[in-house]
Amino acid sequence: MTSPPVTGPAAVPSHRGGPGPARFRPRRAVPVGTARPKRRGPLSYWRQYLAISPFYLIFAAFSFFPVFYSLYLAFQRWDGMGTMQFVGLQQFRFLWDDPVFWLSIRNTLVIWVLSTVPTLFGALVLATLLHSVRRFKGFYRIALYVPNVTSIVAVAIFFGAVFSNNFGLVNAILGVVGISPVPWLSNPWLIKVVISLLMTWQWTGYNMIIYLAGLQAIPTSIYEAAKMDGAGPVRTFFQITIPIMRPIILFTVIISTINGLQSFSEPQVLFASNAANANLGGPGQAGLTTLLYFYQSAFLNNDYGYGAAIVWAFFVLIIVLVAVNWRITTRGRKA
Amino acid sequence: MDLSRRGFLQAAALTAAASGLTVACGGGSGSGGTKNGKNLTLWYWGGALSDKVVAEAKTHFSSQIKLTTASIGGDFKQKLTTTLAAGTSVPDITGIKGEDIASFLPNANRFLDLNDLGFKKLSSQYLDWKTKLAQTEDGKQIGFPIDIGPTALFYREDLFAKAGVDTDPAKVAALVKTWEDYFQLGTELQGKNPGTYLVNNLGSMFDMTVGQGTQRFIDKNNHFIGDQDHIRAAWTTSVRPYTLGLDAKINDNTWNAAVGKNLLTELGAAWHALDIEQAAPQTKGKWRVCPMPVGPANQGGSYLALPKQCRNPEEAFKIISWILSPANDARGFTDAAIFPAAPAAYTMPAMTGPDAFFGGQKIIEVFGPAAKAVPIAYEAPADAAVMAPYKTELTNIEAKGKKPDDAWKDAVSQAKQIARRQGVN
Repeated sequence: MTSPPVTGPAAVPSHRGGPGPARFRPRRAVPVGTARPKRRGPLSYWRQYLAISPFYLIFAAFSFFPVFYSLYLAFQRWDGMGTMQFVGLQQFRFLWDDPVFWLSIRNTLVIWVLSTVPTLFGALVLATLLHSVRRFKGFYRIALYVPNVTSIVAVAIFFGAVFSNNFGLVNAILGVVGISPVPWLSNPWLIKVVISLLMTWQWTGYNMIIYLAGLQAIPTSIYEAAKMDGAGPVRTFFQITIPIMRPIILFTVIISTINGLQSFSEPQVLFASNAANANLGGPGQAGLTTLLYFYQSAFLNNDYGYGAAIVWAFFVLIIVLVAVNWRITTRGRKA
Repeated sequence: MDLSRRGFLQAAALTAAASGLTVACGGGSGSGGTKNGKNLTLWYWGGALSDKVVAEAKTHFSSQIKLTTASIGGDFKQKLTTTLAAGTSVPDITGIKGEDIASFLPNANRFLDLNDLGFKKLSSQYLDWKTKLAQTEDGKQIGFPIDIGPTALFYREDLFAKAGVDTDPAKVAALVKTWEDYFQLGTELQGKNPGTYLVNNLGSMFDMTVGQGTQRFIDKNNHFIGDQDHIRAAWTTSVRPYTLGLDAKINDNTWNAAVGKNLLTELGAAWHALDIEQAAPQTKGKWRVCPMPVGPANQGGSYLALPKQCRNPEEAFKIISWILSPANDARGFTDAAIFPAAPAAYTMPAMTGPDAFFGGQKIIEVFGPAAKAVPIAYEAPADAAVMAPYKTELTNIEAKGKKPDDAWKDAVSQAKQIARRQGVN
């Protein structure tokens, strides 16, 4: 390159949308007499396309292709190695009649509600508290965010040990105050509570950081005005903070819906199949989420067609739920 | 060199293309071509083979073959399935777990027939029922038996003594000829040892009672028979400990903590001895083994197989028959608690010694005869998947107090559905 090395964003020879002065600097020799440069064909940008291609190539190979291949698989019967057999909609008919599939949907929805509601509410409360904290701000933020970057497997094993029926820490503490042991990991409802607790613990900090960023963008003058009008902290929270934060809450609700419905690792590690219990999802399959059931069907039972049918049916369900969420959360915004 | 941006991008693109090409070729060279390759790869998982024997095999064959071994972690069957389906970078020799072998049989064409390579001459050295489980209907042998899992009754000698029960293995065996005898003894023992249980959960009981039969869930004509009397009887027996209050209902990972504390007995395969030893080292010397009520079953035990892409079938077969020769198989028992599939090994010094964990008992005297008495049962490819709902429902009985009869009905209807999905009629 013959031009001197450039430093700072202002000097970047940006083609479009660059900062002020650069816009007026001709990138190439502009033909005399034309008001604006000619439109260039997309092929002439091949270097830029090449530069961004690694992501898209990997995405195409490992996400885009498998997604549509799984749609194709949903209409086949395939054990992963032998010849595929086209079975039409048979897999979906099996799905409709399969009580375990519907059980897994119920489990997923219950776990999702039990984890998302406390997560988002707790995150909002924590963010508000943290917003007004004066000292050790960094410490609190890091402490609350650390669960999110901790390995899910490690956390699940830890929860499994703490809530263990016979020898767990929680039951030991309950025993000290005279409460008889609670079957955390075998009662169908408590199983869901433990999985939800794990997810709440892991995702509250993440949402809290997002809310905190939103809170910091609210001008203090609005709060001052509310204070002068005599609003207390609770009223301020519900009538100032929440309405202004609405778009951010909407974002977290949708992200949590997508994440929360895809719970897999938590029950998979907590209720891993072992010599004594070959099934996934723990006693009564109470922790069998839909993705876990998909994994069991496709990769443990080698029934890839059925597994694909499960995930596609589940995909439709997620879309519906996100749409419903969207409607609920945006309701009345334009009114 | 003054590297321009354009030059850099072009160089990067070239490098990327070149590496892609290399990868593609590297994968391709594994399959096809001549069948006398000098490099062979062996896939197994930790504990499948004695690492010492494998290391010796490397040096033993080093003049002709460079043997590379890979210990594959995680879901072995899944990784093998994917690799075989992809058809590249396929191992020349691979392990297959006993519980997975049935599901590989429909795809026997992905493997070499070991009978073509000389297994026929060797097969008499290995237990017939174990060999048959890795054989297709038309007689193709895809698996070379490594080990087996003959089951027996492990019991706590000290807790038996406390209840005033004779603790000598032969005497205990005489006491528990049938499952009812066993439960009766359990009630007696529990009375003298409050807070203890006879069995850890109903699922493990069901494994044993089904494994003692000569029929499983699907017959040779691909019919579902999981609703018939033999399974119903196994189910009824398995539920008995629950109704008698002898079931510890351990369905989570607390078995490790329970085994040294409140379990009177354990039903398990030979390799289960190591589990007990690792989970409860403080109970050393307090355990004994005797034959299981009614008779032995088999649990687990693996195979070695040669995928079709094997680069040198003759040498590969020589290697596996060396690794799994009775003498080396016996060493697997010493090194990794792998119970050999070759009965000749049972009389070798490596196996006949007293076991300190079992108070000096010579446990081969129990497992040796058990190994030879395991019943032959046809195991269909979908067998494991079809069995799963029965165990789920047994867990439902334990966890939710579900009525055993309702649980049976639900188990059968779900098993039928799974069978239908898997193409069983």
